[in-house]
Amino acid sequence: MASEATATVGGASAPPLAAPKRGRLRLSTSESGLKAAHFNNTGFAVALLLPQLLVLLFFFFIPSYKALSLAFVQVDPFGGRTIFVGLDNFTRLIASPEYRESAWITLWLTLAQNVITIGLALLFAFATDFVSRGRGIYKLVILVPYAIAPVISGVLWAFLFNPAVGPLAQMLHSFGVPWDPNRRPFDAQLLIVVASVWKHICYDYIFLVAALLAVPNSLLEASRLDGARPIRRFFTISLPLAAPTAFFLIVMNFTYGLFETFGIVDAITKGGPAGATNTLVYKVYQDGFVQLNLGSSAAQSVILMIVAILFTILQFRGIERKVNYQV
Amino acid sequence: MSRNLKSRLKRLGGALALGLGVSALAAGAVTPAYAQERVKVEWWYALGGRLEQIVQSLVTDFNASQDKYEVVAVNKGNYEQTMAAMVAAYRVNQQPTIMQAAERSFLTMLNSNAIVPVDELMADQGYDIDWSDFVAPVASFYMVDGKAAAMPFNSSTPIFWYNADHFKAAGFDKPGETWQEVEKQLYAIKEKGVSDCAMALPNDFYWSLLENYSAMHDIPFGTLANGYDGLGTEFIYNKSKVLVGQLDRLSRMMNDGVLQLAGQGMSPEQLFTSSKCSTIVASTAAHAGVEAGAKFDWSATVLPHEEGVTPLNTTIGGAALWVLKGKSDAEYAGAAAFLDYVASPDVQVSWATQTGYVPITNTAYKQMQDEGYFKEHPTREIAIQQLTRTEPTENSRGFHFGNHNQTTQILVEEIQGVWSGQQTPQQALDKAAARGNEVLRQYEQLNGK
Repeated sequence: MASEATATVGGASAPPLAAPKRGRLRLSTSESGLKAAHFNNTGFAVALLLPQLLVLLFFFFIPSYKALSLAFVQVDPFGGRTIFVGLDNFTRLIASPEYRESAWITLWLTLAQNVITIGLALLFAFATDFVSRGRGIYKLVILVPYAIAPVISGVLWAFLFNPAVGPLAQMLHSFGVPWDPNRRPFDAQLLIVVASVWKHICYDYIFLVAALLAVPNSLLEASRLDGARPIRRFFTISLPLAAPTAFFLIVMNFTYGLFETFGIVDAITKGGPAGATNTLVYKVYQDGFVQLNLGSSAAQSVILMIVAILFTILQFRGIERKVNYQV
Repeated sequence: MSRNLKSRLKRLGGALALGLGVSALAAGAVTPAYAQERVKVEWWYALGGRLEQIVQSLVTDFNASQDKYEVVAVNKGNYEQTMAAMVAAYRVNQQPTIMQAAERSFLTMLNSNAIVPVDELMADQGYDIDWSDFVAPVASFYMVDGKAAAMPFNSSTPIFWYNADHFKAAGFDKPGETWQEVEKQLYAIKEKGVSDCAMALPNDFYWSLLENYSAMHDIPFGTLANGYDGLGTEFIYNKSKVLVGQLDRLSRMMNDGVLQLAGQGMSPEQLFTSSKCSTIVASTAAHAGVEAGAKFDWSATVLPHEEGVTPLNTTIGGAALWVLKGKSDAEYAGAAAFLDYVASPDVQVSWATQTGYVPITNTAYKQMQDEGYFKEHPTREIAIQQLTRTEPTENSRGFHFGNHNQTTQILVEEIQGVWSGQQTPQQALDKAAARGNEVLRQYEQLNGK
């Protein structure tokens, strides 16, 4: 899923990257380039598409079909007995205060994670140009978390902030902070947000650095001549030009927050305490794979799928219009 | 735009490579294993760490003891993961022959329609197992209408572990017998500065400190003899003042910093073996870890009870070996031979002495007594004495609830709300019982006759 989306991004952020080299004169030729990409030989095109379609078939369409078919039944885990229950699984979920609580928690955690990640990544990306010594180390420190598996980083966070043995927790205690993510829901939520931001910041950072580098130097120089200071230049020139990338990152951060913080939650809090970090996707896993309540789990994943689809449509429709892709 | 095309081509190339990789993998998976003389019998188990090594040596010994069968033991993670893996495998007919499932999934396995009752298997394969030789609470848990549904394997019960150095430093010989005395001692340990953590809360506290507590005090956890008499059972643990009082005690001790949560990423047993915490209520199976890791004068004793009460027996935890449907006759013959081997007194003695689990047959227990094993290792006998100290009543036999994992998870979630101060013990147990009963009704709807 992620790799596919990354590829699309390449497409989305390509124009601003390519723009400075080509200039306006070449715009008309890009049309013919599009036509050259058209295959006359349908068989060849199909052959090229086939692997991708097969991947989609096995990892998207078949699982989606399975989820849909399970969402309307009660089934024993072994697949022996199946009772059709209509919308029972859904109405039960919507009536359940725990499920609604989980939805709110997911929304807030994802929003917080999204805003903080992109904010910090922008700051770091902006600052990259001003780091004159050890820029390599600066980038390395930001990029390293991406190479660490979520579960391993989760275990490390859980240990560092464990109130009984964690060194960072001890430090907080010595400042008089009653830190205890095992008992205080807010502490647990904070820990999840911090861990998922730390894990994801480099992703946003790479894209934003690239987007800022692609800002035409001529524009920056012109504004410098006009007397604009770095921060002014950033907000009036760099940021608007990096907007398409930022928009794409917002979508990606939501996907990350909704679906991929799963490993971190599992390693740090297991959804606790008292369900305070039980996000929707973690609940799907818990109910389906640990509790073997397949009907409810399938219904939850269908809801998640609908939410994800709606979300993406809304974002593209609402925000894309205001985002300027042209230089 | 040619850039766009390039990126598309790259994407196709990547997908092609991935597609090829996937099909290669699939081809590898379906290649039949080369025929061998020995019949392979697959066993999925869920024990990790030191216990895993002991399981593997048990299997090696079995394979060396005869030349017809080869048991292949595969670790599939913890109990839940093993169960999920097995269920997924069963649906595509790739299940193992033998499966280790926790006591909590007893009804799930029993009603799965996916198992061959062990009693039937052993009779078919010509093995004569004397089920009356099995230790009472173990046998009564896995027997249905006098027939064993599964072969009891690793059976345990919680006991009270303590750091004798800490108790001496606080001026006590040993822990008291009642919760009232123990509570005073724990507070003294904290107040005299002997230890910051007088007691660690085990991860399975619902089992050791609530379910077993209710069994010992003859409190019904659910109706219909804790589910033994039918799927119509309902949770009524919230109606017992004594049980609510126990949760209240735990909550109070936690607020006073006497009882500590280990939390994610730390095992409570480790807090005990590293002598950070002075006591813990944990399974007798912790022997393997404590004996290897504790560098202080440790000991254990029976679980405390309320003042003025004669405590009943405790209930079992651990797991049993189930035999799954859909395998060949030869594999069943191998499975039966292996189960017979596991239940034999010598293997039981060696398993129990290595792990700390209780010997599951009276013969094995007797043999360990005769060898004088318990004289040298007195704490090893606590569990079996505690399990067998009284005739089990309807309330102390054990728990047969449908979807027991799920209702336990609900109970834990609500109790975490007590730890965080969001609700009172009574509110938490009321909510847990109400939510748990919904799950029980769903189970009844699906599995009711």
